Amino acid sequence: MSVTVELTYDMSKALGARRVDVDGARTVRDVLRLTRERFGERAAEFEKLTRVTAVAVNGVLINHRRGLRTEVADGDTVMFLKAAAGG
Amino acid sequence: MIRGYAGRVLDVDLEARTFQFKPLDEDTARLYLGGKGYGARLLYDMTPAGIDPLGPSNPLIFATGPLNGSVAPQSNRFAVVCKSPLTGAIGNAACGGSFALGMKRAGIDVLVVRNQSAAPVRLEIDGDRSEVSFLDASDLWGKGTYATQVLLGRKKHHAVIGPAGEHMVLYAGIVSSERIAGRTGVGAVMGSKRLKAITATGSRTLEMDDEQAFKEYTRWVGAMFRRHPVLGERLKRYGTAGIVSTTNPRNILPTRNFKHGHHPDALNLSGEYMEDHGLTGVKSSCIHCPVTCGRDVEVDGVGRVKGPEYETVALLGTNLEIVNLKQVAEWNYLADDLGMDTISLGTVLGFAMELQERGLLQAGIRFGDATGISELIKDIAHRRGLGADLAEGVKRMSEKYGGHEFAMHVKGLELSAYDPRGSYAQGVEYATTNRGGCHVQGASMYLESVGPLTINPQNLKLKADLPMVLQNLACAINSMVLCIFTTYGMIPGVIHNTSPNSRAHRLLTALFENSGPLLRVAIRQKVTPIFWWEKWLTYITGETTTAGHLQEIGARIFNLERMYNLREGLTADNDTLPPRILYEPTFAHMTSGHPLHQLLPRYYKLRGWDTRGVPTARTLERLRVRI
Repeated sequence: MSVTVELTYDMSKALGARRVDVDGARTVRDVLRLTRERFGERAAEFEKLTRVTAVAVNGVLINHRRGLRTEVADGDTVMFLKAAAGG
Repeated sequence: MIRGYAGRVLDVDLEARTFQFKPLDEDTARLYLGGKGYGARLLYDMTPAGIDPLGPSNPLIFATGPLNGSVAPQSNRFAVVCKSPLTGAIGNAACGGSFALGMKRAGIDVLVVRNQSAAPVRLEIDGDRSEVSFLDASDLWGKGTYATQVLLGRKKHHAVIGPAGEHMVLYAGIVSSERIAGRTGVGAVMGSKRLKAITATGSRTLEMDDEQAFKEYTRWVGAMFRRHPVLGERLKRYGTAGIVSTTNPRNILPTRNFKHGHHPDALNLSGEYMEDHGLTGVKSSCIHCPVTCGRDVEVDGVGRVKGPEYETVALLGTNLEIVNLKQVAEWNYLADDLGMDTISLGTVLGFAMELQERGLLQAGIRFGDATGISELIKDIAHRRGLGADLAEGVKRMSEKYGGHEFAMHVKGLELSAYDPRGSYAQGVEYATTNRGGCHVQGASMYLESVGPLTINPQNLKLKADLPMVLQNLACAINSMVLCIFTTYGMIPGVIHNTSPNSRAHRLLTALFENSGPLLRVAIRQKVTPIFWWEKWLTYITGETTTAGHLQEIGARIFNLERMYNLREGLTADNDTLPPRILYEPTFAHMTSGHPLHQLLPRYYKLRGWDTRGVPTARTLERLRVRI
């Protein structure tokens, strides 16, 4: 089962990729863990970047579903975003 | 005269080439503030129903408000009001730049331009001498907005049109410095009058009731804005294009003529990308604005120019599936120089591409392909060939070529770049706003989908209340006349800096989402000024202004505009959204589109309208809307 993770601009710069595919995730918590692993030695940087970052699954914030326990399915897109952008 | 106003209305007749300075009506100023409110009152009173928007009977009204001419942050704006040639409804647009300051220094609160000139003309207003010169503008006719302002003198304050206005493109705008009163075709009305430019000069200063208190408070507000996570950090650093990084993951970024809300490469159009690629500086932006949301970018063959904003990168970018910032920046410059609204332009081009794809039009342009678009934009501005059809806007194009179900407009005004299927309150706002499908007549999306509060944008809670409250506030803001961004400071910085996934944040969001009754009480309070615009008005005019006062004034303006539209023949049927938005789902959990039919009845009730969307006599009487 593969989930596509779309990173924020800052995360992309740190990791050198706009998106990564992670396999074997059942929940958003798993996706976060697997994405953090992709950062390797820069995992602390990933933690910092996610501190004020919201997470959406297929466009819907996990806050409106089951939070980190939100289940993901094959082909889903999990996206990080800055919650406040202006307007 | 109430403090904060110059006390004069300048009435210009372009046909007779006469002018008259008249006293500002104090009662109207108290009831409608200025800006678009005062303009709407004048338009309603001056014109009968059914006038030709591009005929001599349509007055073009430029209006400032009591905050213009002060050093309040984001206060250098003016409003333009007329009957819209694009929608046939009330037309208005607001603009930054410098012309508001020119008007106020000239000692003019409102400028009314009536009738039409036989030949290209420009006006020079000398406020100190109370003189208006009608000057031949044949040498400027055909020139772009940038060149025109350079020729008129960079140090003066101008409002000008470009070729799009001259050729009465129905979404042409009026430009001041590098900013544009873009929406509803106010530039086409100026072009119909053969009025190329207006220059206002003078040396008057603003009189305030309590200047010392105003200055001290304004210093505090300026410092607070500079520290604010959105106003002082994100908008300052990334400009409005930084919003792409939020709308794209939330699936509300128009893509492929609003077919989708997400583009996998959208970050290449973001403010963050702009900062890393091609940004050559940060504009000083509008006068007295600490936010400085304008960007400078390099355009080949032109040099350093104003960069594209969010609406532009979305509607000329992902909406056309052209994810090339350099290309979008070039088109943005072209549209600004030709003098037309990039929101309508991008939506028109997206519609033409889908017509082409479905074999309904041979436009020669395709999604994902930039070929031919630069030339087509120029053709639109000059109404050449197919450009003449595209100059009419999406609604008229759909009447000619078909495609009503994917014609992205409300009341004839092309939709802004927030897909309401992921932002329900914004959908109600689009459907009901008097000028049509626009995002800055309330900006509900800030509270529900792009701001710091992560309320659920796809349930029905507050989704009828928020648009009404915010539309009222925006009516007041656009009548002072302030930038809508001043409202973003309402949410304290500390909330922006909490994790959206934290318990505290979720609790706060839940409280807000369920605050309907409390919200309705809070906005009625007339005890004390709380927010900056209330305090500024109080210090300037000497008349205590509170949230309750502004909600009342805003509701008055909104209902007057509504009555104007009803008089023009619009009905509740026009309070709708494009069929694509109503019936096509863009989220996996959706079975249909935006639930407007569930929200409109409540919205009408909150407004004090009957089931046909008509303000009741009691509502009009309560708000003192004279009809």
